Amino acid sequence: MESVARWRERLIAKTTKPTLRTTAWYWVWLSFLVAVVAIGVYSYSTQWRNGLIVTNMRDRISWGLYISAFVFFIGISHAGTLISAILRASKARWRAPVTRTAEFITAFSLLIGASFVVIDMGRPERIFNVYLFGRWQSPIMWDVMAITTYLTASLIYLYAPMIPDLGLFRDRLADEVGPVRNWIYRTLALDWIGTPTQFKYLGKAITLMMLIIIPIAVSVHTVVSWIFGMTLRVGWNTTIFGVLFVAGAIFSGIATLVIVLAVLRRIYHWEEYLTPKHFIYLGYLLAAFAAVMIYVNISEFVTTGFKLEEAGEFAFRQLFLEDFSVMFWFYIIGGLITPLVLMVVPKTRTIAGVVTAAVLVVIAMFLERYFIVVTGLRVPLMPYEPANYFPSMVEWSIFAAGLAGFVLLITIAVKIFPMFAVWEMVEEREQEVALEIAQSILVDEDMRDDDETSGAGALAGSPIPEGGAP
Amino acid sequence: MTHMRRGVACVLMLATAVIILGFGSGSVLAAEIGIAVGAPESATVGADVEVKAIVTSDDEPLEGAVVALSYSTSLAGVAGRVELISAVTDSDGVAVMIYEQRAAENGEMFVEYVGPDDIETAPFVFTIAVESEQQQLYAPISGIKIPLLNGTLVIAVIAGVWSMIAFSAYQLVRVGRAGQGAEPVPSVVVASEQGSAWVATILTIATVLTAVGMVIVFLRTPLASGDPLRPELYDRSPIAFLDSDLPYGGVGLADASLAETDDPLADGEMLYFQFGCASCHGLSGTGAVVGPELLGEVGSLGGFFEDVREGPKEMPGYASGVLSDDDIELIHRFLKDGDSG
Repeated sequence: MESVARWRERLIAKTTKPTLRTTAWYWVWLSFLVAVVAIGVYSYSTQWRNGLIVTNMRDRISWGLYISAFVFFIGISHAGTLISAILRASKARWRAPVTRTAEFITAFSLLIGASFVVIDMGRPERIFNVYLFGRWQSPIMWDVMAITTYLTASLIYLYAPMIPDLGLFRDRLADEVGPVRNWIYRTLALDWIGTPTQFKYLGKAITLMMLIIIPIAVSVHTVVSWIFGMTLRVGWNTTIFGVLFVAGAIFSGIATLVIVLAVLRRIYHWEEYLTPKHFIYLGYLLAAFAAVMIYVNISEFVTTGFKLEEAGEFAFRQLFLEDFSVMFWFYIIGGLITPLVLMVVPKTRTIAGVVTAAVLVVIAMFLERYFIVVTGLRVPLMPYEPANYFPSMVEWSIFAAGLAGFVLLITIAVKIFPMFAVWEMVEEREQEVALEIAQSILVDEDMRDDDETSGAGALAGSPIPEGGAP
Repeated sequence: MTHMRRGVACVLMLATAVIILGFGSGSVLAAEIGIAVGAPESATVGADVEVKAIVTSDDEPLEGAVVALSYSTSLAGVAGRVELISAVTDSDGVAVMIYEQRAAENGEMFVEYVGPDDIETAPFVFTIAVESEQQQLYAPISGIKIPLLNGTLVIAVIAGVWSMIAFSAYQLVRVGRAGQGAEPVPSVVVASEQGSAWVATILTIATVLTAVGMVIVFLRTPLASGDPLRPELYDRSPIAFLDSDLPYGGVGLADASLAETDDPLADGEMLYFQFGCASCHGLSGTGAVVGPELLGEVGSLGGFFEDVREGPKEMPGYASGVLSDDDIELIHRFLKDGDSG
């Protein structure tokens, strides 16, 4: 069997590889992303000059693509932290290779998501009035507070477990990378030399953040849902919104994580560490949350539909049959039922199947955010003709810049930061090897003991297959 | 009725003062309007209060004068006056005004001559103290108060969560400190060129400052009945302001038949309302947030026709099936020659 030390060296080589080797394709991809962001920045400059008139938001439908994007990105941010924290808290052993990516997704999507609130403002220079004159009775204030808390907490939760790996990069890459990255590693590694005292304090920080970040993450998307739920609008005025948003957030977060992992795995050949097992386990999580989402939707629509107040009929008609029916049924069938089926049927329970499900889920969850925002505002409050809304080019290009900015941040992070939690993976490997050795000894003893009776003991003590590939 | 007796004394005293003041000011107006007021010294929230005003013109009682009673207050930092009631004087020059005491505090009160003549006169200023009985009609009575479930609890939660975050950040400072000067672990560290722990220190300080900032934002929230820094039943009574005249000069709902008075200006104004011009261009064509000023600003009839039919910029166009040529002409006439009154 390969020694842990050699396994570790190979892992380090794989982890540091993206920071050392950069292909021409990388620069092409980077330039493309920068170009998309630049177009978005230009579009925003027109909005800054002329005001929100350059969007298609008007008095009756006053929230649109921007707010949908805000909810969507804040939702994706649950990928990370929540999944990583839940897996860490439940001591899921397979988590180590996926947590770092998840935590990066969280931090970056939070930054992008929060900026969409500012983008949606007609007078963005008044943003500081929230701090100067904010009132805590307003759901917007709750949102500002919850997101500030979540962003701070998730940055620390991203940073703390990365310190040993930054120390590793500092030591290994000192002669290989330029002065900027050297400085970054030296500064961020906080004199990490791996003493037991350092591990003790680091463990304290990680454990505390892991415990506190779960309720914070849940509160964040609950509060986001309350921006809608605290109004009397048909379609928004429901107590289930908190659950729907939190479940949807984790759901879309897992899907985003799956997609990002699949792409990185393909580009940097991380097949050894990101095995089919990881994707299938994430697929199971995805399926579980698809089931929760289906349940929440049924519960919501049956309770409101059974009573069906006057305006509710309009809301149902536009959602189920008319303007938004294509989006809605794609969401239900393509985004909730199909991913569940893909994970239930053994034949599609593969990496390709999980990634397909994840892509469907991400698209469907974005559409869900969009139709929740727009249909809620479209229901007339008085007998007037319902307004229509379709985002303008400015809105589309800023939205595209948001997506590109998110991918851009990840693209840059891959070149600087360790995308694997090396020390945690080594820890896990040590335990795995120790278990294997212990079991092989046990098997040997069982064989000797059971020689005279039967071979049943050998079956019970069969070693755990490495990698767990199905 | 000690209130009344005091009131009469007040009237006599102040009537004299006003008369002296009137002469002293050397006004060149045709008539000197004098106002004297009889009012109780104090009132109770929820009870009716009677205020009598005597209006004189050149020391003679003035019949048919309109007077208004108001009190000064401020809302959201803007000072102004709230009108309580107005009345018309009888043949003795006396106007009786009865209002319900709603505010917990009146500030300075004013009785002012409003009309019918357009004469500037100094208002009569006096005070009525409000006897506090912890009853205030505009206190936020909707909702229930549950002990301990208020802003203090929210601050406690924020402080609790943030102290845990700050504590975690502080652990990173300790990680950095523990690394300084300690023996490196050979299996972990290869070359040991180190930085320092200042990043963790900054992170911790930033965390604490953000937490403190959030609590400050919270504590600064005004008008919160659950706010720990405000007294119970914080006064939120001011409801309206008198300071500026509302420039409303139109009718509520325009009926097509109203535009058949044969007075082209009146008909034009009616059509101006009926077809919704007013919603963007202001009630009297004086311009508003969206539409520019039109009254007295419209150009030739030809250009006006074109604008109405085409709809420049964001304005909707009006087809001939909706708005006839004759009607456009009438509207044009009103906007050209009408007045904003």
